[in-house]
Amino acid sequence: MVELIKVSKEYPPDVVALKDISLSIGVGEMFFVIGMSGAGKTTLLKLLCSMEMPSGGLIEISGKPIAQLRGYHLARLRQKIGVAYQDFKLLTDRTTAENIAISMEVSYKKPAIIKKRVRDLLDQLGLADKHDTITGELSRGEQQRVTLARAVANSPTMILVDEPTGNLDAITTERVMNLLNKCNKAGATIVIATHDDSIYRHTSHRVMELRRGRLQAISGGLP
Amino acid sequence: MSFWFTVMRQVGRNLRQTWGSQLMTLLTVSLSVLIFAFFSLIYTNMINFGEKLGDDLSLIVYLEEEPGPELQQQLINKITTFDEVEKVRFISRAEAYERFARQLGENRDVLDDMPKDFLPPSIEVVPLKNLRSLNQVKLFSAYLSRLPGTLKVQYGQDWVERFYHFTRLLSIIVLLSGTLLILTTIFMVAYTIRLTILGRQAELELLKLVGATNNYIRTPFLLEGLLQGIVGSSLGIVSLYALFQWIKLRFSGPGFLNVFEFSFFSPAVSLSIVCVSILLCTLGSYSTMQKFLRI
Repeated sequence: MVELIKVSKEYPPDVVALKDISLSIGVGEMFFVIGMSGAGKTTLLKLLCSMEMPSGGLIEISGKPIAQLRGYHLARLRQKIGVAYQDFKLLTDRTTAENIAISMEVSYKKPAIIKKRVRDLLDQLGLADKHDTITGELSRGEQQRVTLARAVANSPTMILVDEPTGNLDAITTERVMNLLNKCNKAGATIVIATHDDSIYRHTSHRVMELRRGRLQAISGGLP
Repeated sequence: MSFWFTVMRQVGRNLRQTWGSQLMTLLTVSLSVLIFAFFSLIYTNMINFGEKLGDDLSLIVYLEEEPGPELQQQLINKITTFDEVEKVRFISRAEAYERFARQLGENRDVLDDMPKDFLPPSIEVVPLKNLRSLNQVKLFSAYLSRLPGTLKVQYGQDWVERFYHFTRLLSIIVLLSGTLLILTTIFMVAYTIRLTILGRQAELELLKLVGATNNYIRTPFLLEGLLQGIVGSSLGIVSLYALFQWIKLRFSGPGFLNVFEFSFFSPAVSLSIVCVSILLCTLGSYSTMQKFLRI
């Protein structure tokens, strides 16, 4: 599904965010990226969703080098990748439902399907009563869940999640993880960047540790 | 959900969010079209009127003596040497007297004490239809005035010159208002679309990230420009038509306007003005997108 070969990312003037990362993530895998703040977790996710381009190396998704994708093909790839951003990227003057629907509207899903999917996701994340609430009026924890709902709404083949539990209590964290596990069981590849060890401590999935932009270790995973 | 349904929803949302600036642009486009179409209408009518007058244009060459048949033929030869003419007609003193008396109508008795040969003989020259520019008529008149035995040449110089200068002035105004139309429509639409783009920067960024295609993002902006063009120009033309009808109604009856026989644009011309405005607005919208919409 995802191949990274000696991928580096530098920001001017001389900040090295990632250095020589080589990695393969299989189809339907749940993969954790951990590390302290500034380790390069968010940068890695930004590269995977083609929000930013690497300074060096090769990134392939489903066998296609994403640096070469443009226009329609890039848009199609992005439709297949759901991203829950650390800074949420919500339209704060729109309702919760409108924010979630946006990812399905771009792939021209029928209004009835969108409506049903939005209600379903809000139920699963404990936000059923926030359907028509303007997202600017939600708490940070609620906004975080709306972001996650938007990321999974279009049933993407890959879901990238940046710090999904940063603002959540234990019960809500469990809800979020249940949703992600459900998506994973449905076949989606999930990449979760986090420093919350409660969500990966007892996991059987692979966990990659980044330190100062370098791959420190990969542990776990079934043999 | 179809592409067009989604796009139309986006357009509706944009219009709702930026209705103030959209309305201002719409009014500016309408006003520009109205000003341009107004002067064009006057100009077109003046040109039509000028052509009608030109059909009746004739030069009167007053002669010292009544020419005999031989001299008449010589004069015809001389006149046609300058250019082909439609008609040359000699008017004797007696004929001139009769014509004048006819024109006086009931007051013809004022001529009772006058000798019947007090009016000079003349030649009425009707130039060909292609001899229409003021300079050509002037040159022809100068040529005729140099013919032997000519007293004076008349063709309503003052009136023709004034009319010619007036239509020239009108053509400049039409040109200026046309430029105004082009500039205002392109710039105002471009400015409004730019405001919309800047106001929706976050949304556009997000649309891009969730996989919206370029067409999905751009088409609503293009449609906005198109709509501004359709509604703005139609409003301008309809307002002018209403104004035209009001003037016609208000000033109907014997008077100045009846001499002119004012007519409105043909449907084809009206449609052309609307189409050009739509094109300009779309162009304004497109140019802004190229500049400010980085996808």
